[in-house]
Amino acid sequence: MPYLKALPLPTQLNAPFWAGLRQHEFRVPRCLNCGDFNWIPYPACRTCLSENQEWVTASGTAEVFSYSVVRQSFGAFSGDVPYVVVLAKLTEEPRPCIVTANLIGIDPEAIKVGLPIQVVYEDLPEEDLTVFRFSPADA
Amino acid sequence: MTFANRRAAIVGVYTTEQARRIDRSSFSLELEAIRGAVEDAGLTLADVDGLAPMVGSDHLSAENGFNTTLAHQFWASQLGERPLNLVVHGGGSAQLPKVAAAVSAGLADVVVLFYGKGARYTGPVDNPAAAGRAPRVQEWSFAQSGAYMTTWYALWAQRYMHEFGATSADLAEVAVFTRHHATLNPASVMGSRGDLTVDDVLSSRSICDPLHLLDCSLNNDGGYAVVVASEEVARNCRNKPVWVLGGGEGYYTDFYATIDDPWFPDDGKAVRSAANKAFGLAGVSREDIDVANLYDCFTITTIRDLEEMGFCKLGEGAAFVKEGHCRLGGKLPTNTDGGLLSNSHAGDPAGMPTIEIVRQLRGEGGARQVPDAKIGVSLSQGWAVHGVAGVLVMGTD
Repeated sequence: MPYLKALPLPTQLNAPFWAGLRQHEFRVPRCLNCGDFNWIPYPACRTCLSENQEWVTASGTAEVFSYSVVRQSFGAFSGDVPYVVVLAKLTEEPRPCIVTANLIGIDPEAIKVGLPIQVVYEDLPEEDLTVFRFSPADA
Repeated sequence: MTFANRRAAIVGVYTTEQARRIDRSSFSLELEAIRGAVEDAGLTLADVDGLAPMVGSDHLSAENGFNTTLAHQFWASQLGERPLNLVVHGGGSAQLPKVAAAVSAGLADVVVLFYGKGARYTGPVDNPAAAGRAPRVQEWSFAQSGAYMTTWYALWAQRYMHEFGATSADLAEVAVFTRHHATLNPASVMGSRGDLTVDDVLSSRSICDPLHLLDCSLNNDGGYAVVVASEEVARNCRNKPVWVLGGGEGYYTDFYATIDDPWFPDDGKAVRSAANKAFGLAGVSREDIDVANLYDCFTITTIRDLEEMGFCKLGEGAAFVKEGHCRLGGKLPTNTDGGLLSNSHAGDPAGMPTIEIVRQLRGEGGARQVPDAKIGVSLSQGWAVHGVAGVLVMGTD
């Protein structure tokens, strides 16, 4: 069955991020001048404005910063309710990287702010793309 | 050479019918609103030398759309085929302060801000999968996660409840007082349904936890317009001028893709910045405000508005509401028209909070009139939870 939910249109600027996902790596830009992470990726560091940034592979571990259980939806998501949208705060610091994604593999009633979670990957060969979600961290 | 430094006033307001579904074009509602507001001012379209379309259109089309800077191509021609001195482009939430500033500076004398939405659905939509393939969207768009505006505000509410101990019942109190005000506003969409209880809100179906249906604003049709004029013009208008005492705009991403931790910093973000600017320019304190209309797209928004506007401290918004301060007769009657929750939310309602303040300061509030209202404040915000803000402090002689 084809994947019919919205997918990203990768830009040249962030090509390393999407290439990283294919290798099941979650890459985040880090400023080579001041060391801050920048999520979402910006063309220059949001702390010191340096354009000298590198893509580093993050640990993929995070915690629930906030979440919502979606109970009414539309289109390709209609059949999935209830599902969970999470704001995932990556372990990396300084400058928090708070990533919007789905949280899967958990009973919605069991979710709490602060819950340890980790990035998981889904390959979509027919779309030539790998996408990411979060799931509860391995025990 | 310097710009003028003259007073600006709101001299005309108009709202069309606001209803769940109006089978007219957006243009038709906008034109009715523009004509109505100009007439309310006692002016004619020939007096208008500036426009503030809340959204763009294009060269040839009346149909409004988002974020194009070509709106003048259509509207300047449609409204009289003559040069205008000012067209204010951009998102709706923060246009009135800069319109007032432009009039004050002498760039234009009479500016009409307007918006309309008819027979057009603006709620969450899927990007239809053409030919059985996944649609492609901007690379960080939350549509990939099946999220939409309500989800986004739900994330905000959930984090707020976690940090400050607020409950769903606390949020429901906002829907309750706002609905009560709507019952006193015959033009409101929901007033005829009568009062709500906290239990009504909590037992309405959940859309995105923790937000229930009745925590969400309406999604209806309607149009409105506001006329801002220079002091010289205002003195000769039909109604008493509602002076713009001060205004401010605030910008900050506060977007789901760029959230900071803390999300609720002590020193605030766009709304705090806009409010401090507006109150500072007006020389008015928070205690001087007789009536407030604060953008309430969701119940959580009102609570955060009260905090960021400086009417209470961070984390105290829910208690402020629960103590009854926002009700008619309270120390800060708020959203007396029923707000976006129970009066009207048609597309981009950013001008509606100001319109209600103008009516209150003119004494036209009817059953919902705040006695002797002399100074009021409006807040509109949007495009992120608190990312773009416009604050106007207004007063009468």
